[in-house]
Amino acid sequence: MKRLTLIILIAFALSLSASTLFAAETFDLVIPLPLTGKQAKFGEMMKRSYEIAAEEINAKGGIKKKKLNLSFEDSGAKPETARAIVEKLIDTKKQPLIVGEYTSSCAKAVAAVAEERKTPYLVVASADDDITRQDYKYVFRQNAVNAHYADGLVSFIKNVAKPKTMAILYESSAFGNSGADAMEKDAQKIGVKVVLKEKYEAGSVDFKPLLSKVKAARPDVIYMVSYVMDASLLMKQIKELRVDAKLFAGGAAGFAIPEFIDNAKDAAEYVVTASLWCFKMKLPGAKEYAEKYKKLYGDYPSYHGASAYSALYVVKDALERAKSWTPDGIRDALKATNISTAFAAIKFENKEGYQNQNFMDTIVMQVVNGEHECVYPDNVANQKYVFPIPTWRERR
Amino acid sequence: MRKALPLIIAGLLAVLPLLGLSSYWMHILILVIMWSVIGMAWNLLGGYCGQVSFGHAAFFGVGAYTAGILYNKAHLSAWWGMPLSIVFVTIVALIIGYICLRLRGPFFALGTLAIGVILRVTAENLTGITEGDLGIMLQERTWIDKTWYFYIVLALAVVTFIAVKMIIESKLGYYFVAIREDQDAAESLGINTTLYKTVALSLSAVFTGLAGAFYMNYMGYIDPKIVFALHDISIVTIMVVMVGGVATYWGPFVGAIIMVFLAEIIRTIPKLGAAHHTFFGILLIVIIIFLPNGIVGDLPKLKKLLRIGKAA
Repeated sequence: MKRLTLIILIAFALSLSASTLFAAETFDLVIPLPLTGKQAKFGEMMKRSYEIAAEEINAKGGIKKKKLNLSFEDSGAKPETARAIVEKLIDTKKQPLIVGEYTSSCAKAVAAVAEERKTPYLVVASADDDITRQDYKYVFRQNAVNAHYADGLVSFIKNVAKPKTMAILYESSAFGNSGADAMEKDAQKIGVKVVLKEKYEAGSVDFKPLLSKVKAARPDVIYMVSYVMDASLLMKQIKELRVDAKLFAGGAAGFAIPEFIDNAKDAAEYVVTASLWCFKMKLPGAKEYAEKYKKLYGDYPSYHGASAYSALYVVKDALERAKSWTPDGIRDALKATNISTAFAAIKFENKEGYQNQNFMDTIVMQVVNGEHECVYPDNVANQKYVFPIPTWRERR
Repeated sequence: MRKALPLIIAGLLAVLPLLGLSSYWMHILILVIMWSVIGMAWNLLGGYCGQVSFGHAAFFGVGAYTAGILYNKAHLSAWWGMPLSIVFVTIVALIIGYICLRLRGPFFALGTLAIGVILRVTAENLTGITEGDLGIMLQERTWIDKTWYFYIVLALAVVTFIAVKMIIESKLGYYFVAIREDQDAAESLGINTTLYKTVALSLSAVFTGLAGAFYMNYMGYIDPKIVFALHDISIVTIMVVMVGGVATYWGPFVGAIIMVFLAEIIRTIPKLGAAHHTFFGILLIVIIIFLPNGIVGDLPKLKKLLRIGKAA
């Protein structure tokens, strides 16, 4: 019994001492991320992007001559764990601001803690509308809200595709639901009739019953909100069933990352998707970051990575302007943020019922010759869109 | 000493918040106690009555959603969910029991597993009531400080512990054990097995549901994928009991310490990174191989092992 208590005491002491190691010349920033589980793919990409940004910042002399020292903690996309990490950062490590997380459910848990403890939290890639609609004073979000994710795409549909009918397929998740609802409203606004709106279980393997329904409804546009595996599987089975439409459109996430093309192969051709960012778009810094990422990891990043990369520049900017490196000092500095980054111009505003929300223009990407190209709006596009698209029969 | 042990431990836990622990450690402690409540509840059905349920997330979720829906639709405090969840969870347990308790052994396990998933999908699709996948979020949690949450969950744990002890030491407990050992023999002795299995299920469900309602109040956000999770709730519940000790009073508590506290410590070892799952998994396998009855169940064996270590 004595021995057992001794072991427990030692374990306790070790875990406490591990967290108190502290160096004066560095600024430590611990970022909670999902590095295991279903969302690990996105977590990994964001982790790498944070690292690239930190390296660049340190190479240029750090933040106010302090070296930025990054480390990561795995939340496994579980809200309890995300909360535990953040409580520890605020209490034990006295970290004056929180950056990170990916899934909306974790971001909600973190945001509630940040607000209660009056510590600023910068949301990087969580899209759920509610996060910045709670009258929180300490929560900032630099990516667009889900309701606006498809703004660029809607304008593309209205001005270019000009369809009469639309089918909406979406996965059963917070992201899928709010994306589909937003598109339904937008479609009504631009006079497109939604003939079918169907939800499916995320991670399904057979979409054929669903797609038969779509085929029977003969929509002009098929709009899909899905994560990686579902997105490519949906397009593959659409090709197999030869479901033709004027336009196949995706609602960011699974359609906007390179894995979509890798998995769906030629079925991905001509698919357009809403996106927040594309490394080919005309935006200073975007290309440099993407090439650096590609050189290190062999693939191009999507908007998730770009947002993470730019988040550290937002943090650097805020810390340099902050009167003091206390939570309130940093909060005031964040509130006054107005910089352009490789991701977008970032400025936190209160409007449309959102607080401290960055509003950005979203873009449309299209897969042309097996690569994502930025095709819309024209001022950032690197290439003209392909429309109308050939039917499955016309393709070789 | 043995008789006073529960009092001593409850007393020790009760003074813990006075030590001025950081809110991080309070969070971990609250989760440990919450999981021991769920573990004790599962133990009543799985440990004593021998009906292994893979679907306790169903009750946890119904409890959590009772609190959440009261807040969201009736605009009451989510704390009302704690007493009211007893009613709703019992109804759900009776329905589930009516369907699943006709099944035995692995078939019962599979049945409950399916029920857990069915309830998740139901909650995802009843958007008018549950808000579906968007989940329910409390605008503001009752307290920022964790002390009261701690005492509430501790009180819940004490009540659960006393209830389990009283049930098991009463006639009812003997019926449960008789059903576990041999259902046919129990039946032939005149025990109405279906009735008592339903009683065990309902009692077990009620305590799990209370923990769920507490979770809603404490975490402030739920969605179907969180509270009806197969892996993160149902399986972890079973692990808490298996690792701690099946059909023991203290097993769930010890199991919760390992599944929450130790898992957190391993997760935060620097540089272990994504490998922490592997590491923790190996640890669990070792425990299950060498201590098949759980840490509390195999305490004599464990003592012997440690003594040998001392001699060498």
